[in-house]
Amino acid sequence: MLDTTRVQKELVECNRDTAISGVSIDLHDGANLTHLCGSISGPLGTPYEGGTFIIDIQLPSDYPFEPPKMQFITRVWHPNISSQNGAICLDILKDQWSPALTLKTALLSLQALLSAPAPDDPQDAVVAQQYLRDYQKFVGTARHWTDTFAKIATVGIDEKVSKLVEMGFPEELARSVLEAVKGDENAALEKLCSG
Amino acid sequence: MADDEDFPSSSDVEEPEVGDCYLSDHEDDIAENVLQDLEDGRQEDCNWSVTSVITKESLLAAQKEDLRKIMELLALSEQHARTLLIHYRWDVERIFELLEEKGKDRLFSEAGLTMSENKVIVLSSYSDPFTCSICFEDVSPVAITEMDCGHCYCNNCWTGYFIVKINDGQSRRIRCMTPRCNAVCDEAVVRSLVNARHPDIADRFERFLLESYIEDNNKVKWCPSVPHCGNAIRVLGDIYCEVECTCGMQFCFNCLSEAHSPCSCIMWEQWTKKCHDESETVNWITVNTKPCPKCHKLVEKNGGCNLVACICGQAFCWLCGGATGRDHTWSTITGHSCGRFKEDQTKLIECARRDLYRYMHYHNRYKAHTDSLKQESNLKETIQGKIVISENKESRIKDYSWVNNGLNRLFRSRRVLSYSYPFAFYMFGDELFKDEMTSQERDLKQNLFEDQQQQLESNVEKLSMFLEKDFQDFSDEDVMENMKHVINLSSVIDRLCKQMYQCIENDLLYPLQRATHNIAPYKSKGPEKASELSVCWVSNQARSTKTTKMDVLPNHISAVNASGTTLSAKRTRQFHAASSSDESGSSRKLSKNESIGSAPLFDLNMPAEVIDKS
Repeated sequence: MLDTTRVQKELVECNRDTAISGVSIDLHDGANLTHLCGSISGPLGTPYEGGTFIIDIQLPSDYPFEPPKMQFITRVWHPNISSQNGAICLDILKDQWSPALTLKTALLSLQALLSAPAPDDPQDAVVAQQYLRDYQKFVGTARHWTDTFAKIATVGIDEKVSKLVEMGFPEELARSVLEAVKGDENAALEKLCSG
Repeated sequence: MADDEDFPSSSDVEEPEVGDCYLSDHEDDIAENVLQDLEDGRQEDCNWSVTSVITKESLLAAQKEDLRKIMELLALSEQHARTLLIHYRWDVERIFELLEEKGKDRLFSEAGLTMSENKVIVLSSYSDPFTCSICFEDVSPVAITEMDCGHCYCNNCWTGYFIVKINDGQSRRIRCMTPRCNAVCDEAVVRSLVNARHPDIADRFERFLLESYIEDNNKVKWCPSVPHCGNAIRVLGDIYCEVECTCGMQFCFNCLSEAHSPCSCIMWEQWTKKCHDESETVNWITVNTKPCPKCHKLVEKNGGCNLVACICGQAFCWLCGGATGRDHTWSTITGHSCGRFKEDQTKLIECARRDLYRYMHYHNRYKAHTDSLKQESNLKETIQGKIVISENKESRIKDYSWVNNGLNRLFRSRRVLSYSYPFAFYMFGDELFKDEMTSQERDLKQNLFEDQQQQLESNVEKLSMFLEKDFQDFSDEDVMENMKHVINLSSVIDRLCKQMYQCIENDLLYPLQRATHNIAPYKSKGPEKASELSVCWVSNQARSTKTTKMDVLPNHISAVNASGTTLSAKRTRQFHAASSSDESGSSRKLSKNESIGSAPLFDLNMPAEVIDKS
């Protein structure tokens, strides 16, 4: 049985200083505490700078004695993160997990992983090879992926909102949904239509 | 006794070579140790593998024995000793070594052992209420537990954590919950906390700890019997040995497959794989068949002319495999290029053919001896019948134990013979030792080995013949005559086996540069029957003194070796050499030992001089 009191406390604790830490956790769908949605901002001075990365978090029933299952939803070009499915290779999410760690510390570790890749212990061999052989090219690709997948399109968000309004959705709703899906027009439309 | 005189020389030749293995000052020490242990009489053999069966009942006692050694040496509590032993895989000697090498503190910290003597004082210093950093709840200091490492959480969280770990099968190394803290949790704490919530899981924890002695121990292995007999076997000394569990299962302790000496474990693994594999079938197919160009079925030529017709009706040329047709018929061979030499293909086929014949040669002989062994095992009952008839006969001969002794010798030597063929297959083939020997060397060694093998083989067949005779119908004189033959042949065969093993160990396996192959040493009586581990205190103590004495020997040998090779496997081999030289060199000592040892019957198969002396 999941220890919900601890998770609730963790959520409050984590979201208290989001602006400073650059990590936050939201509920994924409604009141289900086993399925969360984390987000971390790309560390400064890395190719991930400026991006916001969404992470899917599943809590096993034995959490916090078992590690949380984390996976990148936002596509990212990084030696220790699968470019295909976002799977993460990080010791504290596996055998080095300790119950004294929290979701926040885990997300902060992911942030640290973004700024300090460990290409010798790769999750994605292709990326790791590029990182080791042609670092400049790696930086270019990573930045391109960040620009393409991890940036909320603040420019033109009004345009998208007005487009949705023109389709007949109320402006407030359209804006909030668009923000929730990080500016993805199609995802917003889907969400609006589904209810 | 004519047989006897045929082979007296080879052991004399062998001996100096054996001696070379440990030309050192320490030699005397070793000899002394050997002597002492032999004189002890408890030692069953001088190959330094003492095996014992660990049953469910004696598991605790076996574990306690090692625990006590560590507890006494390091002044530790039982749970700390266990943590230490689990980490170092129950290798008491290794712990002793590391203690000198690294010192107590590093020895402990690497195993996750932290001692805190001022635990009580620390505990009282916690503020009231205490906030557990796992569940973020405030709890009273009564409901918290501090581990030896000084980290403190509430009992609820500890318990939940322990249960998850035990269910994950990680009972033996439950680490503290603090990130990167290496300390192993005190088993007493785990036990009491878990027991309060889930007594059944606490039981499982207990069992895991107990079985750690088998699971995390290189010197103890589960008996491979199916269905499992519930026993484990412990070996003190050399782990390359063959052993018989009390359930009757005979096996190689190192690889847990059937007893296969003089094959090494690697050879045996490859051999069984090869025998099951279809690769040889494929080889045969390559050599003897060709696929039909139309239906692709494999066609074997059964005679005469090279125009072959497949069952599907298609005719083709056997030489090149090409279909007959407008351009290529038997009457007109326009475009028929099969006479042109394609070297590669021919070579390939030749190689395949040679490999196949070589394999078949060894496999046939291996199979012949295992089959004989099976048939002779069936014969055992018939022979028992003959013995009963003979014993009830009006005759002055009443003792027929020579028949059974001869029979046992026959079984034993048949096994050695049959396994000597896969050994030879790999020893003199390209699979394992391609670059180990020049072809000249190889021929020389192969001759030497095959000569011994042949002698052994012919004597084994003779023994089989004498044992199969219908001695129950014989006159007393003929029975005596037959008995003499059987006894003489038995002792000759025993000696030949020993010599063949010496040849294998010293001349064939020892000089290998690139690989080390260890084999279970030859034992006259077959795989050693593991003795029940006695549970009572006194014998435990006796055993532990014996163990320490035994522990001395490998250390000595490694000291001898320190200047030369560092390979531990080489060490083991010299170990063998030391013991086998002892066997041949001073058979008097050995025989004394054997007769005092646990052998239930007087062994008539002893060399003649031994029988005389006793």
